[in-house]
Formats: sequence, structure tokens, C-alpha cells
Amino acid sequence: MALLGVAAAPAWAQSADADGVSLQYGRYHEGERDLLGRDSRFDPITVDSLQMGATFMPSDRWRFRLGYAQDTWSGATPISTAPAPAGTNSDAITGATPYINTTANLFLDQATLTPLELDENLQLTGQLDPRLVHTLSGASPETRRQLDFTLTSEFTDAVYSFGGGASLEPDYDAYFANIGARWDFNRNLTTLSAGLSYTSSDIDARIDHDASPYIYDDCGFLCDSPSGSAHFVRANDFAGNRSLVGEREDWAGRVGVTQIINRGALLEAGLSFTNSTGYLANPYKVVEALFIDPDQQFLAPEGAYYVTMAALMERRPDERNQGALDLRYVQHIGATDAALHLDYRYFQDDWGISAHTFAAEWAQPLGHGWRLTPRVRYYSQSAADFYTPYLVTFQSEHPPIIDPVRGRVYLNGNTPDDGEIYFDDPSVADPQGVNPNTGNPVVDRDGNPVSQEIADMLFGATTNLDRSLLPAHYSSDHRLSAYGALSYGLTLSRELAEGVSLDLSFEHYTHAGSLRLGGGGEGDYSDFDYNLFSAALKVGFGGAIPSDAMFGEHGAHADHGAERHDHHAHGEAPAGVMFDHLLAAGDVMVGYRYMYAGQDGGMLRGTDSVSDGAVKAVGCAGQFCPIRPADMNMHMHMLEFMYAPTDWLTLMVMPQYVDMDMNMRGLLVLDDFIDHPDIDTTTYFHHTAHAHATGGVGDTGLYALVRVAQGPNYEAHLGLGLSAPTGDVGIRLRDTHQVETGFIHYGMQLGSGTWDFKPSFTMTGQDERWSWGAQANATIRLEDRNASGYALGDVYQATAWGGYRFNAWLAGTVRGVYTSESAIDGAFNGTFRPIGTTDYTGNYGGDFADIGIGLSMTIPGETLRGNRLAVEWLQPVLSDVNGYQLERSGALSASWSLAF
Amino acid sequence: MKRSKWAAAAALLGVVTLPGCTTVEPWERGNLAKPHMALDSNPIQTASREHINDSRQAMPSGSSAEGGGCGCN
Repeated sequence: MALLGVAAAPAWAQSADADGVSLQYGRYHEGERDLLGRDSRFDPITVDSLQMGATFMPSDRWRFRLGYAQDTWSGATPISTAPAPAGTNSDAITGATPYINTTANLFLDQATLTPLELDENLQLTGQLDPRLVHTLSGASPETRRQLDFTLTSEFTDAVYSFGGGASLEPDYDAYFANIGARWDFNRNLTTLSAGLSYTSSDIDARIDHDASPYIYDDCGFLCDSPSGSAHFVRANDFAGNRSLVGEREDWAGRVGVTQIINRGALLEAGLSFTNSTGYLANPYKVVEALFIDPDQQFLAPEGAYYVTMAALMERRPDERNQGALDLRYVQHIGATDAALHLDYRYFQDDWGISAHTFAAEWAQPLGHGWRLTPRVRYYSQSAADFYTPYLVTFQSEHPPIIDPVRGRVYLNGNTPDDGEIYFDDPSVADPQGVNPNTGNPVVDRDGNPVSQEIADMLFGATTNLDRSLLPAHYSSDHRLSAYGALSYGLTLSRELAEGVSLDLSFEHYTHAGSLRLGGGGEGDYSDFDYNLFSAALKVGFGGAIPSDAMFGEHGAHADHGAERHDHHAHGEAPAGVMFDHLLAAGDVMVGYRYMYAGQDGGMLRGTDSVSDGAVKAVGCAGQFCPIRPADMNMHMHMLEFMYAPTDWLTLMVMPQYVDMDMNMRGLLVLDDFIDHPDIDTTTYFHHTAHAHATGGVGDTGLYALVRVAQGPNYEAHLGLGLSAPTGDVGIRLRDTHQVETGFIHYGMQLGSGTWDFKPSFTMTGQDERWSWGAQANATIRLEDRNASGYALGDVYQATAWGGYRFNAWLAGTVRGVYTSESAIDGAFNGTFRPIGTTDYTGNYGGDFADIGIGLSMTIPGETLRGNRLAVEWLQPVLSDVNGYQLERSGALSASWSLAF
Repeated sequence: MKRSKWAAAAALLGVVTLPGCTTVEPWERGNLAKPHMALDSNPIQTASREHINDSRQAMPSGSSAEGGGCGCN
């Protein structure tokens, strides 16, 4: 069996990505950063990710792989690095709040340019204080989605592939394509591979609206473009939000050779090169510049400089060339049937960064379908040439404009933009107004004296800093600093049944300047660590994951495939119906369900459409309502594990992953701001200026299905279930303009937050090609309040369907659904700024009726035997909503299951 | 630092002292064909780890620069 595999395609020359489907959930969680003892009020970064892949062979020669990935990021990230005495993480409000401009007097030692220590009253202590600290800034959750495919054509001695895809997120879209080839020769002992890829990226990054007003501004709209070509800054709305717009292109090529060394060892060597051009900087990073203004040094004590601090957008070169050499060695260890993997990678680029990676992995089969793989990895890099924690420059932040003949130029504070300029002129014949600061008479551009009224309003005109005194490029992004990283991890794999395996993986990663190879790394202020946990389910088609080869002697299930049951017996329930059937005693089923629900279009009150004007007048619990939802999308990914210990009982566990996105529409016109001076404009613009997104693990269902009646062509069962509150109900929006925005509204939280009772009663029947079914189910909240202070309404649902089987593998269904849901009880118990219809608990729930049309397919053929696919579209036909709500546009359900 | 130098030395040693290439007949390649002997024995896990590394390090961990997104946080 294994030898046949060798002849078809050498496993060592490719990844172990067998035909089948895979689903992986991952959670990344960073540890707290050290802010010199201050507690950040922002949570560290977390990333919830979901990956799906399906690989199948439409014909002998062709292999097609489709992949989907999404990740939702939230939490705090460093926006800049500053000297400790600058006090950038002030705890003046609640917890540490970022200030990228210093609020303190800051002094540098003249000899070393090291900052001087300040005591708690901001007085100099006479000591140096070289400590640095990150300035942390928060972020609202955002979701990235990636779809990609690879089409492979396989020949006896060669494989050619073509692929492409897109990665989309609110601020960054990337589109990519690749080609690859592999040639086997020397009796398949040697494999040559080559690949080329191209990526085009569009950046449209909203500049941190807390930071944006404080970033050094040369021209009123952050026109800080190093080359003028790669990017520009666009002012996008009247709220003063600004976006950095840029483009980027990446070309990457790789050649590799894989050599079988002996019966148990192989080696791969590869060379890769990447050329990147365009906007390569990070739009969310600024660099602190310390200005030593020669005119301000009277403020400095003996031996010190007085400095002011301003934040500059970081600047990186518009081109980067990267090269890497990688070596991978795999050794079979005969004594324990283990595989030892040793990897080394050397990297160098023309930004001055070189890096080494060493990784080792020991894959140990343990028998009975278990496999344990510990791994360790060490990484070390040098800093980019232009990396600097902060800049020091000998110039004024805003130098005065001085006319070579007439001296200092002044503007009128009342009309600074009228083009008129003024000067001091002690020699004027008939002085009128006198400059209050200098005591000199004031004249206009033509030398005419001006009134005291104007003279009192004068201020000195200033210009921008002289960028020629700064380096061409600078960044304080700690990813470009010198540091090392050590990580270790463990993967536990278990073959659950033939072709079905579950992987659990954990990794701990430590980034530290002191871990750099040879020392000399960045200070410990930038150290951080993270944990990465993942769980993956892989299901091979037609036993493509060979149990005997994968797990040693464990080959007992070799002929199990022939015994697979065809699960037609339970009829053809539509994809949107859960708990529709029991399994036969001893059977296991793995399933995946996807549900999409959309809302779009007009607003409803009860059953009636209402105008935006009506919503604005009374849509927020009878009050003035500045915001309504424009559209909302919800995606749920559910994994089903079913097992029947006996014929009358089936147990189910159903974890789920949820993500949502939504756009808001602002209803205000200019007059509203005048009529309603109490409008929370900060929150208003925060909601209306950009989409909101959340995503992560949802609630987990635990169910038991108990058969209560069974006849020759009908069956009835009871479902008793509990939903555990594993979904987050405490998701908050980032702060904006130093205002804590608080909870994101109820509908965007990931779960109910309460333990819920989920009973159901289902009857199904069939007669020849016809099948039918009916179900009543409920979701009853077992707690009055969740941790965030509210409880979703109870849900009662009734549904009935009929199905017709067209042929051996295809059936169609028609279904009616009636749902009744109560409004939300309670309210958020923390900071929350209600401003739109979705922020009010009375605007949830209602009575709904839908019609569904579905198809279900039992995949014919030997390789995909036991696989069942079903899809259903639910079209709303009646909505009687509580309060004011957005119309529903429909729901899509898709389910895939495999029984064995 | 000592540990990392040892790791470097061990990896180099492994490469340098590899036994010379011999002919390995197809029927002798059973061990090489085992899934845990594949160069990348867990591709989906590798992909997610590389995506995280790419947004945390200056050096891309994969061999191509495609997709991946901003990684700006």
C-alpha cells in the first residue's frame, strides 16, 4: 500500500496534504506588555482564526485544492516607542492612555543625549533615565478573509501547478497568483522544484483617529510622503478621518532540490528571492522625534538640553529585496519509527536585516492512532539600518519664519489665512499699534502702521521642520529591531476513525532582545510572548489518510470502508434543520454546518416599513436616534460530532465559530447637531465612519437525542440539549479620541453568555421517493443575566418540510419555518454609549416566517462514499419585529456530513 | 547564547556528515513514504504558524510572499 503511494507521487517531495477536507481553529493570545509598571487599559492582542481546505481529484491527472481562512484581530499594539520620562502611557483617565506627544518637560544630557530622570512631580533628579517604553494603542476587532486555490496537473515525472487567491481586510487587500513545477528524475531519488508568485496589494488604512491629530503635520493633511509615488494621505470625511492610501507589489521566486540520501533520510535545499516595491511601511506606527530647539535652550539646566517631542509617520524605503536559503533534513528513526525534522533558514535583505532560524521537530507515532510531535524553534535577527527607537534632531519643531531683511514674520490670529503678513519696524515714522511682546511698532507688508487691535492679535509665523536634517528612513517598529525568539510546542494527533484525524497543538513563543544570537539586541521594553493553540480536524476521502502507514501497526480498520453505512434511512432533512436524525448503534458521524444570515435594506417597525426620518425621531426606545444599521452579515461555522452508544440514543457535541460584520448609517444632517447639542459626536462618527466586525468561538452545544417512537416508515425523537456560554459577550470597541467607547452592541457579541436549555421534538417519515418531517424546538435562557448584564430573549420555533428524491443521489426539499423570539432582558453593565437602534434591548426579537428551498446530495461513487452535502436558502416571507429593526434579506445553510 | 550556538553547530554537523547518496530502490522507500516523514507533515498547521510569524518577524517564514495581509498590528 505504501509502496504504491511511492510510485504515484513521492511523499517526500510534497506536503502531506491528502485528498479530503480539513478544518482548523486557532487562537493566538499575547501576554501583557511591560509599560514600566503601568497597567494598560487595553487587552493584549488576540487572534481567532479559522481555516478550511478541501482537496480532491476531479480526474486522475488533476488535483484541485480550495482553501479559505479568516482571522479576527483585536487588542492593543505599540504605536510608538518613547523615553520613559516622556510619560506616553499616562494613567490620567482610567488606566494607561496613550499620548504620543509628551505632556512633560523633557531633558537630555548634553554629553550622551540620554534622557534625564524626572520624579513624580516632574522635577529633575539629576540622574539619567535611559529606559524606553512602548506606547500602546487599542484597536476594535477586524476580520481578514482569504480565499485561495491551487490546480495541479500530475504526470509520471512531473507536476505542474497554478494557483491564486485574495486576502481581504478593511485596510488591506491583496491579490496573488502563482505557478509552480516539480520534476522527478534520477529514478525519483531527486526532485527539482521551482515556483514564482506575484502579489498586488492595495492599502487603505484609516490612520488611528486618536493619534492622527497629534501626528506631525507638514501641510494640514499629513502629506508625509517620502517619494510621493508609493502612497498619499486622503482626508475622507468631514469628521476629520484620514486614510493612508498606497500600493505594493511583491514578486517571489524559489528553486529547490530534494534528494533521497538513503532509505531513511532526505534533504531539501532551497533558494528564494523576493522583490517588494511600493508602500512598505506600517501605517499604524509613528516614530517619536525629540527636537532640541536652539531658541528654547534657556529652559534647560546646566549640561542639559530642553527638548520637545513630536510623532512622525514612519518612513521606510520603497523597495526591499530579500533572499533566503533554507535547508530541511528529515531522518527516520528506526528504533521508534519516529521522524526527526531539522530545518535551518538564513535570510538577508537590503534593509540590513539578516536572520537565522533553527527548528527541530520529533514526530513520534505512539500506536493506537496516536502521534506526538514536540518541536523547538529559535530565531534571531539583526536590526534594519533605519531602525531607531526614537529620533533626536537639532532644530525647532516649528521654526519661526524670518525675513532676511525685515526680520520675524507675524500673522493676524483672527485671520491667519488672509495672506497678510506683519513685521516689527522700530523706525516707522508714525507708529500706531505696538507688538505687546517686543514693544516695537507694527507695520503691514507695505510698511504701513497697523492698529493696536491688530497688533494685539499677532503671533509669529512658523514653518515646518527641516526634513533634510532627519534620516531618509526611520521606523521604531520592534519587528525591525535586533532580537531573538525562542518557541517550543507540542502537537498531539489522534486518528479517530479511518481517514479521520484530530490534531491539538500548543506553542509558546518568547520574543526578547536578549535572545539575539551573539547579544546586542533591543532592550527588554519590547519583549513579549504569546501562546498559540490550535485544533484541526482532517477527513480523508476514500481512506486517503492511510491508517497503517500513518500510525504504525494500527491497521485493524483496513476493510472498514466497505462497511460504511449509507445514511439514507433518515430521509432528507433540509440543511437548516438540526437534530433531524439518530445514528445506528456504534456509529460515528462528523459534520460541518455553515449558516449565513443577512440583513439589508429598509427599516421595519412591527410589520411595516418605516422611513429613516421616523427611525431618527423615535427609533431608540422612543427617543431621538442618530444611527440605524445599514447591513449586517453573520456567518456561523459549526462542527458536529455525533455518536450513538445504542440505537435509541445519540449524543452530540457542537462547537461553533461565529463572525459578524456590520455597517451603520448616520441619519444626522447639519441642523440636527444644532438642535441636539447633547449628541455624542465622538461615538457617532466612530460608528458611522467604518464597518464593525467581531469573530471568534461561539457557544458550544451539548445534546442528547432520544428515540420515543419508531414505525416502518416514521420515527420520532426528543432532543435535550444545553448550550454552554463559551462565546464572548464582553467585546468592546476601541477607545476613540481618548473616550472609552465601551461595549459593541448586543447583536455583535459572539454568544448568549447564559447557559441555555435547548429542547426539541422531531418527527420524520418517508414513503418511496417522498419524505417529510416536522420539528418544534426552543432556546430557553437558564439565567436572568450574563456576565455583561443582560440575557437574550427565549426562542420558540416550529418547522415542517417535505422532500422528494429525484434519483439515487439528489433530493429536493421545501420547508416552512415560524420563529418567535423575545426582546433582550437587562442591559450592559459597563461603559456603553447607546446611539443607534441596535443599542436598545427592545429592538431585538419578534415573530418571523420563512420559506426554504433546499437540495441534498449523497455523493455517489466509492471514494466519496458516506459523504452528504445539503444546501438550503431561507427566504423571509413575514417579519413582525419588536421595536425598530433592519429587514432580513435571507439565510443560507449548508451542511456536510460523513458517517462511518 | 550558548544554547543557540550549539544548535547552529549541531545543525551544521548534521548537514556536513550526511552519508553519501546511495541508490534507494522503490521497494526500500516505505519509511520515506510515511506521512510524518513528509517535508511538511502538517500543512494547515504550518500555514497558520507562518501567518503569525510573518506578522511578528522581519523575515517571512514561508518561501513565497503571497497573501498574508497587512500584519500591521
